[in-house]
Amino acid sequence: MSTLTVGRAKKRGGLWVSQRRFILSVTIPMILYSGVGLFTIGWALVLAFFDYSPGRAGGPILGLGGSNPFVGLKHFANMIDGVSREATQFRISLRNTLIFALAVLPLNLAITLPLAALIESVDRRLKTAFRAIYFLPVITSSVGVAMMWGYLYDPQRGLFNAVIRLFGGTPVAWLSDPRAQFLGVSVAMWAVIGAYLWQDFGYNLVIFIAALQGIPQEFKDAALIDGANPRQVFRKITIPLLRPTLLFVCVMTMLSSFQVFDIIQVMTNGNPNNQTRVLVLDIYDNAFRYQRMGWAAAVSLVLVVIVMLVTIVQMRLLRTEWEY
Amino acid sequence: MKGNLVQGLLVVLLVLGLAACRGTQEPASTAENPQPAETPATAKAAEPVSLRLWTHQNNAFNAGYEALIQAFKATHPGVDITLETFDYDTYIQTLQTAMPAGEEADILQMFGTWTAEYAERLAPMPDSVMTVEQAQQLYYAAPIGGYIINGRLYGLPQEFNCEYGGVLVNKTMYEKAGLTYPPAWKTMDDVLADGKALTQRDEAGVMTVAGFDFNASDPASFSFLAGVLQLGGDYWNADRTGFTFNTPQAKQMLQWMVDAVSKWGVLDPVLFNDTTNWVGSAFFEGRVAIGYIGTWAIAEGKNNYPDFADEWDYFFLPSMRGDPVFVADSGWGLTVSPNSKHQDVAWEFVKFAAADVDNALQFNLTSGTIPAIPEVAASPKIAETMPWVAKALQILPYGRYLGAMPDRDLVIYDILYPHILNALQGVETVDDALQAIDDEANATFE
Repeated sequence: MSTLTVGRAKKRGGLWVSQRRFILSVTIPMILYSGVGLFTIGWALVLAFFDYSPGRAGGPILGLGGSNPFVGLKHFANMIDGVSREATQFRISLRNTLIFALAVLPLNLAITLPLAALIESVDRRLKTAFRAIYFLPVITSSVGVAMMWGYLYDPQRGLFNAVIRLFGGTPVAWLSDPRAQFLGVSVAMWAVIGAYLWQDFGYNLVIFIAALQGIPQEFKDAALIDGANPRQVFRKITIPLLRPTLLFVCVMTMLSSFQVFDIIQVMTNGNPNNQTRVLVLDIYDNAFRYQRMGWAAAVSLVLVVIVMLVTIVQMRLLRTEWEY
Repeated sequence: MKGNLVQGLLVVLLVLGLAACRGTQEPASTAENPQPAETPATAKAAEPVSLRLWTHQNNAFNAGYEALIQAFKATHPGVDITLETFDYDTYIQTLQTAMPAGEEADILQMFGTWTAEYAERLAPMPDSVMTVEQAQQLYYAAPIGGYIINGRLYGLPQEFNCEYGGVLVNKTMYEKAGLTYPPAWKTMDDVLADGKALTQRDEAGVMTVAGFDFNASDPASFSFLAGVLQLGGDYWNADRTGFTFNTPQAKQMLQWMVDAVSKWGVLDPVLFNDTTNWVGSAFFEGRVAIGYIGTWAIAEGKNNYPDFADEWDYFFLPSMRGDPVFVADSGWGLTVSPNSKHQDVAWEFVKFAAADVDNALQFNLTSGTIPAIPEVAASPKIAETMPWVAKALQILPYGRYLGAMPDRDLVIYDILYPHILNALQGVETVDDALQAIDDEANATFE
């Protein structure tokens, strides 16, 4: 009380001292955080137009120029029709990233949505247990998940090949055979997608369960009274009312799929024959293995643009103009 | 209030700006502006000197550095050297961020190939410490080669990074297969014959033991390059401004590697490669009979697989033809930062650690590495502790420096090995693989 009195006594410029302190304590960290964020984004933007390597001293201003020359749009032109290793690997990585994201999203939804509806329909205590079990992989380290799935996929000692052997089948080199394909996509990519889905689907599952709980029971009851069967209720009532949640889940899943890195780096490191090489792995290798920071920054910029475009398209397709 | 906030903002931005511009400071001494140490270290003996030494994290190496630091401090009172280590990936990233900011340590452990890439940010060695000619007389050609950039010396090597020719051999498997041990290979066909006899498969036809595994990035790449030289070719053009990978000798060598897989069947390249059943681990797990890998894998294998019960030893392969000519990287060594305030003392430590025969011997014994100095390599202590080095003595003089590639890691790990692997796995023909290697490797000069 006394503190408040002292604060009030020092009112200046229309604000109490306590209010000024609060504004300063919030504003300065915000400025610092956004400053750091904007600086790094701006720095990446600048680097994309230079052939910059941290190993070279370069010019007098932030090492730009000199032995780290300005190259304009050369990086972007190379990405389109360059013959160098980095250009071909970029195009391969882009293709693989699109395959990965476009496969993960529908598979994730195909697993999580029905499963959420099933879990929502069971007893409350069981519901909690299922939710916890399915969410566990989400909070597990990606490196740990990748190593565990690497053991499962091991061509000689892995569980999957043991099962195949049991039924007299031919073992598969899941992560290392460049000739093995399924539906036109390498088996290694499907294997990585499987591991990624296992780790990731619990997140969307919990969101769908929460969304399902938020749908008013009256809507479903009304439909049932009108003669709809449970499947029709799910298709005609539940799914449409989940559209805002679907939008969120689709956007977030796409974003994380485009940024996949750790699980692939540990399981395959882009192999076999670059068939699991994705954009973020390509950025990492160029920036930190080969010190081509300029090229890596240009690829990052392309990734940002792609992610933004995909997000805008999704928001246009799935947006709703109503609430319940 | 508003004015105060704006002022505060300006101060913050000024501080950020100054911090960002820290990297633009001119180093005390650079490749273009060499400034040899002003005062001999001994003259400054009374002045306390504190130095930092950065290395990558490797227990055996770090033990060697700790011993060197203690020995140096004993003879240089007033000098304190702090060893700071980073795991391999973190070390690379730390160098990449610290060097532009001028915040790196005084003494930097560098891999020979990195030295060329970072030369602009390293101090050239003053002639008073050692001249290029003196260094070339003291060291083997391959390890010192990477530290000489445009005729100037930028550091000293501490090891001979020999990835060519050495194989781990499982004696237990040899005896079970009824083969002569120790192996008496005269030609590479003898090696393939042993490898074929040692290969094992399960009832489903899956290879469980690779008879002769040469399919990891370093062994495959360096044996390919050595093979090209031994067959009379070269992968450099005459003036060393470009690569010549698409030659008859390169084709002969790559075809030999493909035949080892497809005709001799000593290896399944899908199951045994750089990412699956890597040879350095697979050998000590009993899944490889003859494993092609550098000597550095011995200490690692002993450390990681203490329960491996099979008997084994390390041997060197015969050449493809004639002398065992091969190429090698310059291995780990020491360099000095141009931003160090005590470059003279730092150089003195580098010379103490890497050029003094007794200290170099001690370091090689502790770290388990092949000496970069012929005199050290011939030492009886080395022969007693690391008998494989004694076996290597016959080939080490044939080692040449790999050459100053624009981007060595890119050429070896991202171009050469992937296409060799593609050829072994049947994804590319030999001709296509060589053409792709030639095109992509030459594009690194652009």
